[in-house]
Order: sequence, then C-alpha cells, then structure tokens
Amino acid sequence: MPTRRHVLAGLAAATALPRAGWADVGAPTHLTAAKDPDGAFALYGLRADATLAFRVPLPARGHAAAAHPRVAEAVAFARRPGTFAVVLDCASGAVLHQLVAPKGRHFYGHGAFSADGAHLYTTENEIDTGHGRIGVWSRAQGYARIGEFSSGGIGPHEILRIPGTDCLAIANGGIRTHPDAGREKLNLPTMRPNLTIATGEGAVVAVADVPAEMHQNSLRHIAARADGLIACAFQWQGDIFAAPSSLALYRGGDTLDFLGEARHLGRTMKGYAGSVAFSGSGERVAVTSPRAGLLAVINTTSQDMQTVQQADICGVSPGREGVLATDGAGGVHRVASSHSRMKAHALAFDNHLVRISSG
Amino acid sequence: MRMILAAMAIASAPGLATAGVEEVVNAHILPGFERFAAASSELDAAATANCRGAEIEEAFHTAFDAWITVSHLTLGPIEDMGLTLSFAFWPDRKDQTGKALARLITDGDPVVEDPAAYADVSVAAQGFFALERMLFDAPASDAYACALTRAIAAVLAKNANNVVAEWSQFAGVITTAGEAGNARFQSEEEARRAIYTALSTGLEFIHDQRLARPLGTFDRPRPRRAEARRSGRSLRNVEVSLRALQDLTTAFRAAPTERLDAAYSTAFDRIGSIESGDFSGVADPGQRLRVEALQVDVREIQIETMNEIGAAMGLSAGFNALDGD
Repeated sequence: MPTRRHVLAGLAAATALPRAGWADVGAPTHLTAAKDPDGAFALYGLRADATLAFRVPLPARGHAAAAHPRVAEAVAFARRPGTFAVVLDCASGAVLHQLVAPKGRHFYGHGAFSADGAHLYTTENEIDTGHGRIGVWSRAQGYARIGEFSSGGIGPHEILRIPGTDCLAIANGGIRTHPDAGREKLNLPTMRPNLTIATGEGAVVAVADVPAEMHQNSLRHIAARADGLIACAFQWQGDIFAAPSSLALYRGGDTLDFLGEARHLGRTMKGYAGSVAFSGSGERVAVTSPRAGLLAVINTTSQDMQTVQQADICGVSPGREGVLATDGAGGVHRVASSHSRMKAHALAFDNHLVRISSG
Repeated sequence: MRMILAAMAIASAPGLATAGVEEVVNAHILPGFERFAAASSELDAAATANCRGAEIEEAFHTAFDAWITVSHLTLGPIEDMGLTLSFAFWPDRKDQTGKALARLITDGDPVVEDPAAYADVSVAAQGFFALERMLFDAPASDAYACALTRAIAAVLAKNANNVVAEWSQFAGVITTAGEAGNARFQSEEEARRAIYTALSTGLEFIHDQRLARPLGTFDRPRPRRAEARRSGRSLRNVEVSLRALQDLTTAFRAAPTERLDAAYSTAFDRIGSIESGDFSGVADPGQRLRVEALQVDVREIQIETMNEIGAAMGLSAGFNALDGD
C-alpha cells in the first residue's frame, strides 16, 4: 500500500523530470525496431500514414518495445537472450536509463507498462532453474527493480496488460533455453506452454494450458482487444506438415479456442506465427509468418480468412482501419478490406510493431 | 547450413542488374502451366472414358509430371487462390487423405455427383494424392469409387485451367514490376526475389521432404513415407522437379553457372544408379547409400544456387524469417 509520502515522492520525481508527450515527438502511433542501410540499429516512431516520426539509436539489434502510456518514453529490448533494455526519451533520443537483468537472468525481449505507467514488467529466464520470472521495475525510482514474481511457466515471451484492467497476460512459450547453448531448445519432448493471467502483484487469476495433443505448439505472442479478448500466436516445434493451428482466442477460463483448422492455417503459416494483432475495430485478428511470407486475417466470429503474400512480413498492429504491418525490406502495409503498401522505407523492420496506446 | 537454407523469404540488398523475370515467365512459367492444364484436361477426359485401367494411369502419370514441373511456382495465382494443398496434399503424416476418402466412401456421400460441390470437400480428398489412392491402392471397382475418381479428376482439371487463366493476367503483373500502378511488385528486384524464393524453396522441398522423409535414420528408415510410392513415382518426382528447377535456373541466370551445372549433372547420374522407383531401397544398406548420396548432391545444388544465383543477384536470407522469435 503506497503511503502518502511515497505518492508525493513519486509526483515530485515525475515533476522534476518533465517529459515530452507523444504528440511532441511527431505524433507517432506505433514503435518498431529496425536495421538501417548502414547496418546500425534504431528504434523508430511510425505515424498512422506510415511516415517516420523519429529515430533513436539502439546499441544492438532490437526486438520489441514497450511504449509508456503517456510520456514519449519507450523501453527497447535486445533480442533474446539479451541482458539489457534501454529506456529512451523519444524526444531527445537520450538513453534515460539502462535496465540490466539481475545476475543469473536474461530478458526474453518483451515488456509491458502498468495502466498508470508507474511500473514496467519484463519477461525473464531464471537461467539455473529455467523458471519464467516477471521482473517489476519502478519508473518513479529511475527504473529500479522493485520486485519479481513467477511467470507461471517456462520461457515467458510476450507480456501485455489487459485493457481496462491492471491484469497481465503472459505467454509462457514452454521452451527451456540456456544462454550457454544459444537458442538451443532443451526440453521439446516435455514442454507445456500456457497463457497465464496474473495481477500486477503476481497473483495468478487464470491459466490456460495448450492441449496435451499439441504440447509442442509454443505460445509466443499475444494481443488483447479492448474488451479483454486475447489472441494467441504459436510456433510449432514438430513436423511443419503436421502443424496444428498457429492462432487461438482466449475468452477466459482455462481453454484456448483454435482458429483456422479447416483452412490448414498452421501448415500454411509453416507452423510459425511471428506476430499477432487485432484490427482497429477488433472484428478481425491478424497473424504473420515471415517464414511463409504470409499475413492471414481471420474474422473472430465467422472465421472468414483472407491472406496476403508478402516476403518477410512480421510486425503487425491495430491500424485506424484494419491492421498495419511491416516487413524486413522496409515495407509498411495496410490490410483492411484490401491490401496496400503505404510506404517502402530503406530499412529492415524487426519482428514487432507496437501500438502506442493508453487504453 | 540447415538454418541458413531453411529460411526462404529473401530480404533485399541493393540490386545488381539482372534480367531474368521475363525470360522465366515466357520460357518456364507459362509453357509449364499450359502443359499442366492440357494434361489435367486429358486426365479428366480419360477418367470420364474409363475410371480405371492403363489409359487413366498413363494420363495420371503425364499430368503428375506436368504438375511437378510447376509445383514450385506457388507465387501468384496458386497461393492467391489457396490451391497449393488442393493439387498435392503431401506430406500427409496423419493419413488425412486416406481418412477423408474412407469417410466419403463409407457414407456414400453424393457430393461426388457434383464437381462444383466436390471442390469444397477437404483438400486432403482432392488432387494427385487422392487420385493416386483411387487408382493404385487396391482400386475399388464399384460405381461409387468410379464417381469419386471422376470427381477428383474433374476438380483437378478445373483448378488447373483456372490457374492458367489467372497466370495469363499475373504474367503481366510480374513482368511490369516497378512500373507505375503495379501494387504487387514495386520494383523489379521484388519480382526477382519472388522467383528466387520459388527456386530455393523447390530445392529445399526435394532435400528436406522428398528425400529426407523416406530416408529417416539409418536405424529407422521410413520407405513408406516416400512421396507417391503407391504409383512408384518417388524417384521420378525428384528427377522431374530437379529438371524443372534447372530449367528455371537457365532462364533466370544472368551469367554462366558452371559449378551449379556440374552439381545438377552429378545428381542426374546418381538418379540413374538408384533401383527402387518408390525408394523402398532405403531399408537396404547398399541401396540406401545411393539415396543418401543423392540427398548430398541436392544439397550441393542448393549451395551452388545460393553462390551462383542468389549471391550474384545480391540476395540474402530474410531479416525476420531467419531470425526467429
């Protein structure tokens, strides 16, 4: 329970360090990491019309970013198994803080803010045991680590806050890795991925396991709709020609509803979904497969499916209309009732496109 | 090496000048699809005349050869129309084709009387592998089996002809890459990249599926996982697809490819030394060695394709496709 003094201290800290809002940095709607033509890495702000709002250099190849809900501040994560993340002032480009994973831990590349922006949550590996952990960091204390709790599984990857709540959804991929063995997967025969819903204090609210008959379908990425519906995207570790669906919806309780089975979605996606997002209206959900060069959009009720072929497409996020997507050759795409490439930048966009939102 | 070859989406590097797209379309793609459509129509006609026997089997082999010649060309119409699996549902580890056909036969499902409706049944019960079951796997002699055979052939022919019609449009799209108003390919390099992806994916499929599946491991060979073993076409599919991919390469390349040509020659010589057309020999240590050697030959072709075609065009593996996560 925060005391009056804590609250005041927090307010003082926030006031002492005035920060630009997102409008002040060119009004980006999305963030994405990218590689520049000269080989340098950076975090970019993208506007709704696919133009670039800002560029902030990154020390190494990025993965995903977490956008602060109010101020123009973003946390950019190194690709796993990275041990650092940087807090960037998107107005000045300054590195405000550096987050270093505690000894014996590494980050998985994703993080999420609490609704008020006071806390940042990061997905981590406790290397010795392989247990998934969620690190808690305090913005008011200069992004100091103030706590942690279990992720509810092994190999937590994406984490997000469920809109309108203070609950977190955590994609536990189920795969144990050890940095000494690179990205080698150490437990494929016994892996058991799940989606865990927890409070910001780590109390488990619900757990949905991936069914036993497809326990090698690793849950990696998730997206949430305003009403709390969660879309889950998977990466199949078995024979890709026997791949189950790469997409499921979570409506609460302990079950996942897989979509697109009739259309052999898993096989079409080469068993590999790179990112997932709801459309702007929330009617449809999109998954991308850079390996298949494909984006599939499925209506959440009728399950009608539309596919778009685009080499190396991966980042996807809600757009004003439909979804916005990015590819490794610098393309920014809008997929609504039809597909159009809005822009081609001289950049290689990285895996994820993150919407800036305060929902 | 496996990791590098596994990623088939291709990211750009500043393009080196190459022709190739128009040559590939005119010398390889369009003639290939026209042969495929004609052979599929003949297969349909043969099924109508007699749903079993030597004539339809011969027509089946001719049409299957023609399919293998274009099966790597999923870019464009085949994928846009979602027909990849409708033509060829393989690999089929859970025997979905066998199950789907058995279900139709057990139910005596009248859907076989209407080709338009049959196009909507499970894709596992369509295309060459469904037809192969009907013709070569203890062929049934009753009227229902006959109607089922004809329905599969009719849908196959209809789909093949639809794809050809679409390609006559799509050829205009891919050969005008980068011109104003072309939304699909905004540069010629993109079109080249799509063709290169088809080439490298086709080679990968031969190595990782057509050869690796029956080979299994030395201790556990898997001859029954060979593609089209029921019609004895496993080795033939490897040969026909390699010839097709070499044909594509010839149209596509901007300069001579000596090492690649030599790699193809080695592979074709090896094919001549393999006795079992259905790869049943993989269970015999002596014969197995030749199939393993052929797999190594195909790997050489993949490597030289990267060196002499991909690298020469300034193409590298995909930024995201290769990275994972």
